[in-house]
Amino acid sequence: MIGVGFGRRDMLKASAALGGLAGLSACATVPAARPTVFGRRASGKPYLPPMRMNVDEIVDVKCCIRPFRPQGPRLDAEPLGDTLVIHNYGHGGSGWSLSWGSAEIAVTKALSVLPREVAVVGCGIIGLTTAVAAQRAGLKVTIYARELFNRTRSVRANGSWTPDSRIALTDPAGPGFGDVWEQMARISWKAFRSYLGLPGAPVDFSDQYSLSNEPIVRREHPSDATIADSYATKGLPQQESEFGHYADRIKDIIPQARNLEEGENPFPTKFARTASQMHFNFGSYGHLLMQEFYAGGGHYEMRDFHSPADFKTLREKVVINCTGYAARELVRDNTIIPVRGQTGWLIPQPEAHYGFRYNDVSVLSKSDGVMIMNFPPNAGEMYGVNDSTEIPDRSDIEEGIRKVAPLFADPMWRA
Amino acid sequence: MTIARFLIAAGCAGGIAASLSAADPVKTSAQGIYTDAQAAEGAELYQASCAACHGAALGGSMETPPLNGKWVANWSGKPMSQVVDYISHAMPLYAPGSLSPEDNAKIVAYLLKANGMPAGAAMLPSDPAALAKLRFDVARRYEPKP
Ligand SMILES: Cc1cc2nc3c(=O)[nH]c(=O)nc-3n(C[C@H](O)[C@H](O)[C@H](O)COP(=O)(O)OP(=O)(O)OC[C@H]3O[C@@H](n4cnc5c(N)ncnc54)[C@H](O)[C@@H]3O)c2cc1C
Repeated sequence: MIGVGFGRRDMLKASAALGGLAGLSACATVPAARPTVFGRRASGKPYLPPMRMNVDEIVDVKCCIRPFRPQGPRLDAEPLGDTLVIHNYGHGGSGWSLSWGSAEIAVTKALSVLPREVAVVGCGIIGLTTAVAAQRAGLKVTIYARELFNRTRSVRANGSWTPDSRIALTDPAGPGFGDVWEQMARISWKAFRSYLGLPGAPVDFSDQYSLSNEPIVRREHPSDATIADSYATKGLPQQESEFGHYADRIKDIIPQARNLEEGENPFPTKFARTASQMHFNFGSYGHLLMQEFYAGGGHYEMRDFHSPADFKTLREKVVINCTGYAARELVRDNTIIPVRGQTGWLIPQPEAHYGFRYNDVSVLSKSDGVMIMNFPPNAGEMYGVNDSTEIPDRSDIEEGIRKVAPLFADPMWRA
Repeated sequence: MTIARFLIAAGCAGGIAASLSAADPVKTSAQGIYTDAQAAEGAELYQASCAACHGAALGGSMETPPLNGKWVANWSGKPMSQVVDYISHAMPLYAPGSLSPEDNAKIVAYLLKANGMPAGAAMLPSDPAALAKLRFDVARRYEPKP
């Protein structure tokens, strides 16, 4: 990192700082003193390459609907004539994160009726993972779907470890959901760890910074007493505090955030908080999973289902339904609430391997591009609820880029 | 079905048939081979002796096998005597064989219930000879169309 990132100006500052100890002639011995400044600017701040925040480098804007169920994902088994349908849909803003654990629950249910072969309907992150998990359990698997992985809603996500984002509402999900959630989250976390360090970084970690000129405090979700209505009265959540939060249950394995000390903060903001976060790179991860599926003898058949009765026409008598938001129509599940979201993508900037949130904009440098999400001030879990407009809005991403560009305007970044 | 699997299946079937007289037809776990009261006691024993590894809700973990679903796939077709025998000898892993035969039967009763097998009028026995007359199986297999 020092070769690429340690600028000439930093070097001069560093030598000057050393000068007080050993005089300028110490320049010749600077290498010996390097460990003290390695990876840091002379000011003591850790070195980070700047990100280019340039609207002319937008390569994609993707919009997507999260399949949110107030009760949490649907995971029950439903007999349909001679066919057993096992549902695995409705993962809200946590489908990537919970994919392995949720697949484990669905496959376990399938195994209990000794099927030998199963059909998986859907090939988003939930369907594809379920298919591979079923193969690993010794079953023969065919995926039936109208689109393969790289055309699904799943690749229009952000793709970070966010296992309790819009996953359920506390009351409708009930007290038992926490245990199910924890099981899914723990299994997923371990499964994803097995993809770390592979070529193409299908799963990766990077440092995320929360940046602000106000002190950064952990987000709390107090309920607003002036709002009398709730999901129970309106069929839609009315405020942030109704959403379930379960992340504390797995604090023992997830890197926790800490505030950066004055002088440690590489950004020109007064305050910064940082944590390492896992993320998924859609391209290499999807590729790898498809490869494993085919190598494991999996078959894919393009197929469009129009009603649950169509499941009965399949050769396999155990069908795992992983149709995501589309289940709302397919199995008429009106408990699914659409939650709209969109991401913009700048060309990849692999040298800037980090992410941040500033001015209500989230930015994450991933292998397939720098992801931008722009939010209105103080937007929380309610943002996008009951909005099923799946049309990308480029101007919103442009605005997001402008909102964070000043972070990198300081000449310090160009030093 | 591979030849090896066929032979094992045929062997098991033969073993069961040999131990049964025509007047004493084999009963499967889908026909009610434990009582609710027994399963309720088994649930408590499970939480005390098994849940630490297999999870409070039988889900297992990345390292420990779940005792739902996959457990059914692993044992189906086998005489109940084998199921109880395995647990009696191998479990709990930290103190194998430390539970009484009655307690092992209660835990298995709980596992049957948790896996959707119906309760019946008679308790699951702990005596191997009586267990050998019972077979672990599901009410219905969802086999693919030929
Ligand atoms: C903006 C945004 C950001 C997000 N960020 C994250 C994040 O950071 N981390 C995270 O964990 N999650 C995130 N999510 C959530 C995540 O993307 C979803 O939970 C997940 O994609 C759901 O996957 P799925 O496989 O259930 O559905 P889909 O990806 O929609 O796949 C459904 C599959 O079913 C098939 N199908 C549907 N209907 C039919 C039919 N009738 N006949 C045949 N085939 C059918 C489709 O072709 C497709 O193959 C985000 C979501 C959004 C919108």
